[in-house]
Amino acid sequence: MSDLKREAWLLGRSRAALAALLLLFLCAGAGVALGLATVSRDRAAIDRMLAGQPAEESALAAFVDDAGYGAYYGFQPTWNPPSDLAFAALGNRDIAPTMLRIRALALEGQIYENEAANPELALPGRFDLAFVVVYLAPLVLIALLHDLWSGEREAGRLYALQATPAARRHIWGPRIVVRAGGVLAVLLVPFAVGAAITGTSPLRALAFAGIIVLACLFWTAVALLVARRGNSSAVNAASLAALWFALTLVAPAAAGLAINAGVTVPDGAALARENREDVHAGWDRPRDATMQRFLALYPQHAPGSALPPTFHWKWYFAFQHLGDLHVASASKAYRDGIARRADLARAAGWLLPPAGLSQAMARLARTDVAAQLAYQQRIRAYHTRLREFYYDYLFSEKPFGPADLATVPRFDPAGGM
Amino acid sequence: MPTPPLFIADLVVERGDKRIVDGLSLSLAPGEIYALLGGNGAGKSTTLFAILGFLERQGGSLTVGGVDVAANPDAVRRQVAYLPENVALYDHLTARENVDYFLKVAGCPRSRADVDAGFEGVGLAAAAWDERAARFSKGMRQKTAIALALLRETPLMLLDEPTSGLDPAAAGDFHRLLETLGRRGVAVLMVTHDLLGAADTADRIGLIQAGRIAREWTASPTVPRFDLNALHSGFASAR
Repeated sequence: MSDLKREAWLLGRSRAALAALLLLFLCAGAGVALGLATVSRDRAAIDRMLAGQPAEESALAAFVDDAGYGAYYGFQPTWNPPSDLAFAALGNRDIAPTMLRIRALALEGQIYENEAANPELALPGRFDLAFVVVYLAPLVLIALLHDLWSGEREAGRLYALQATPAARRHIWGPRIVVRAGGVLAVLLVPFAVGAAITGTSPLRALAFAGIIVLACLFWTAVALLVARRGNSSAVNAASLAALWFALTLVAPAAAGLAINAGVTVPDGAALARENREDVHAGWDRPRDATMQRFLALYPQHAPGSALPPTFHWKWYFAFQHLGDLHVASASKAYRDGIARRADLARAAGWLLPPAGLSQAMARLARTDVAAQLAYQQRIRAYHTRLREFYYDYLFSEKPFGPADLATVPRFDPAGGM
Repeated sequence: MPTPPLFIADLVVERGDKRIVDGLSLSLAPGEIYALLGGNGAGKSTTLFAILGFLERQGGSLTVGGVDVAANPDAVRRQVAYLPENVALYDHLTARENVDYFLKVAGCPRSRADVDAGFEGVGLAAAAWDERAARFSKGMRQKTAIALALLRETPLMLLDEPTSGLDPAAAGDFHRLLETLGRRGVAVLMVTHDLLGAADTADRIGLIQAGRIAREWTASPTVPRFDLNALHSGFASAR
């Protein structure tokens, strides 16, 4: 303990080291604060959406007199609430929709409509604790550890220090622990504050803290491997900077490019357009053909499927659903492609620890691609329930009034049912 | 007979495939100051590094206070204070903080009063005690380091070119400090090129050549302590 105290004192006397740690602390604090603000904004938006729903439904109740109107005008909220760790790793939450108001119309267009604006939102990038851990903390670790031995050698103190008893145990070990521990502390303290504010479950907070520790251990090991080689401080710093550049920027970007080139994914916006065009074409198709295709999927509604010569909602919602089926395979290919890319990126993460740790943080925070796809699947499952709820009214000609609006299925963010 | 602070017999040290120290023998009594003279590459610093356990020996025996260096280097280092050629302190720390830090590193913390006494003993001006080492001259650094060595109270001190770069006055101060160490019973092994300084202070002077002590002179109890002409010609022939 006294060795650690002594080395902590020495570190504390170095203005440069303190400045680096303070800067990292401020960045980590800012990352947590921005994460908390983003999560809070998400929650507020979700709350606003949910708070507005009763007013929306009472407005609808003023004129709804059949199920078709209810299905057509009745927007239902779905949302993907931020997890208790989302503040620390925003992941895809800044580019993927976290709430969506849907109707019983064709769904695919509704889901992918959101993507048209997302690239704009993604341009500035995100600044959260995960970014600080993956990109900035290694630089401070490199700054504190690259000259562990070479700095002493160049200053002429190395032999004097080595000449003391058990130098490895009493000097170098504690010095490494204090420097790496200092970096870890300035990352963990803001995280702990954020976790306390958010009410993160202790186990999940510990797991996330464990990933931060792993990230620090990785870069500590890399820095020490380079520092032990006996080169000058300048060479060590340059080598480590190059390694940081390669491992955190170049290699993950190259892997991302290779994965994207190797796994083609249909364009989400094109998918939405295709869905919409097929739905629009539904107006021009023979109504009998539409109904036959629909009833092949829902034979239980055949008894009530006869159409009047004029417009009827059951035909309208039938071709809406067929529009979804038209792009079902493309939609699945889209999801499979995204999932496949995520799988490959995860595999690449084993070779590129910084990228792997970044993914692990997003996965634990449920802000990764898998969480985004799972939310989409919950929307699809809920949309099926919503459609089928209205089909029962439409095909049985059961009366539908304002009171029935209260029985419309609700989205459950946990299960989607 | 007391255990000698340093005992070396037929020491052999190789660096790579080159034999640097080749059969060197040397023994120091408590309080004895021994100057090891020799040209560049003669094996002076290598001998110091072997004593400190930085380099493995390939032959011979080497004990400090009766402890074999190879068997227990940490026990040896507890008994040795080492001053490298360029005494380097932490520039951002004061003299007092430097001494405090290095004493703690060596596992022998001392009180503030002891440190002050150490500084007084080596003649470091009181104004410098709480001054950052970045502003120190080489002489002040040297005094700080010797105060540190004194405070460690080790029976053996190893000095590598201690007067290199010191002005004549500072070198004079330094040699007086060595005499103080000797009087306190600290054995000193000093590696140096400074023939005059060695003649002024040392009890014995050894000339190292091709990795072994080629000639040795012992100080006379009367002045002049050494025959400078003999020393100089021996030293010149070794170079």
